[in-house]
Amino acid sequence: MKKSKHIQLVLITALLASCNTKKETEWSEGNKKVYLRSDSTAPYTRTHSPLLWYFAFRSFGMMNNGRYVHGGYHSNAIHPQSNFGSNGFKSNVSRGGFGRSGFRTGS
Amino acid sequence: MIRINLQPRNAWQQKVEELGFGFHSTEGTYWDESAAYIFKLKEIEAIETATNKIWEMCLEAVQHVIDNKLYTQFAIPSFMIPYIEKSWNDDVPCIYGRLDLGYANGQIKLLEFNADTPTSLYEAGIIQWFWLQEFDAKKDQFNSIHEKLIAYWGYLKPYLHEGILHFSCVKESLEDLTNVEYLRDCAMQAGLETKLIFIDEIGWDSNTQQFVDVEDESIKNIFKLYPWEWLANEAFGQNIVADKNNTHWIEPAWKMLLSNKAILTILWNLFPNHEYLLQTNYIANGMTNYVKKPLLSREGANVSIIKENNLIEETKGEYGEEGFVFQEYMNLENEFGFTALIGSWIIGGEAAGIGIRESKSKITDNTSRFVPHYIEH
Repeated sequence: MKKSKHIQLVLITALLASCNTKKETEWSEGNKKVYLRSDSTAPYTRTHSPLLWYFAFRSFGMMNNGRYVHGGYHSNAIHPQSNFGSNGFKSNVSRGGFGRSGFRTGS
Repeated sequence: MIRINLQPRNAWQQKVEELGFGFHSTEGTYWDESAAYIFKLKEIEAIETATNKIWEMCLEAVQHVIDNKLYTQFAIPSFMIPYIEKSWNDDVPCIYGRLDLGYANGQIKLLEFNADTPTSLYEAGIIQWFWLQEFDAKKDQFNSIHEKLIAYWGYLKPYLHEGILHFSCVKESLEDLTNVEYLRDCAMQAGLETKLIFIDEIGWDSNTQQFVDVEDESIKNIFKLYPWEWLANEAFGQNIVADKNNTHWIEPAWKMLLSNKAILTILWNLFPNHEYLLQTNYIANGMTNYVKKPLLSREGANVSIIKENNLIEETKGEYGEEGFVFQEYMNLENEFGFTALIGSWIIGGEAAGIGIRESKSKITDNTSRFVPHYIEH
């Protein structure tokens, strides 16, 4: 036999299958509630997606004099009011120095 | 190798989506189970032998480039050269690569080596394996990708820096994310602690001179599905060589040499007329049937096919600035009018399985379909 005998996936099936799920269904009632915010200076909001870490914590910021200034983290899975705030503690860290050459890398 | 038409499974889209395969139909049909390729065992063994041999030859070619400092042929930024050499001499871990092979009339030829950022791993390792379980579980398939990935991540564990193994890709591509998350899945099953970070979220701490993740945690090992030539030329590129952690980037920097089409000319010069190679030079050199390829390109972009000195097919794109190679043309069109290309996976330095891409055009690009295969004993 040249094929794998058994295949088990521990992460990817649930995670990526969720990418095809409409977000509206994630807000249905009757599920455990999780409250979170994108930054310590932002208000909390509610979500329940167990896969939130995938959607959450997208970095946002802006270029200032050629330097990327980190503004916080953004998520489509949480309320827009929670997608605000900044944290000066991280001022030694710059982001956005990679990732500008293309939107897909497949070869 | 023969091609047969098949009736796709009922609700196949739902079945593959349940496996986390969300890009089966982007830009038209991509996953195509209305056909399959059937191999005899001896054909598979020939592909396996060729894959292992070509890998050996590629390693010799890398050593040759480094020994003779042939970097100008590869258009590599000068600041990266010592870093590439160090990654080679330190034997920085690598996990995988995909040889694109032409297979026709009993001949197996290397078309190119996707050594740095190969994709279609999930289709090859998972989707076609589960397809075969439903189609005929008793049949065999050249596909031990999954178990080899888990085994090799486990093997690499003591060679990584202590701490987390980060995984990174662009956030805009579900295909890239799927490949990365699949690799991460296998690493987790091998007992590694992992974390995902999108490539643009990687931070540089100017105080400590190290890369950090979104929680400002130090990055010491990172698998990146992002080409080295992009990393090197972006704002943080110089930081890679300044990094105090001496982070293990996987695939390692020496893969820049193998993923560059210039390696095809090096191989031809080192192993002229080898049974697995096509003549490749920096000029057409008297060839009348050849393929012109950029040194650096992705998904078949900026490729031209010339037959009898006439252009018969070409693709558009943004590549070619660094130069081109000219490779002898190999006709891969089968009796059904499809051009099929074999993507032969190398995992941990061993042939691990294949995936087949086919198209009506002669150039395999991002619209070519992935067609499953099996072995008929």
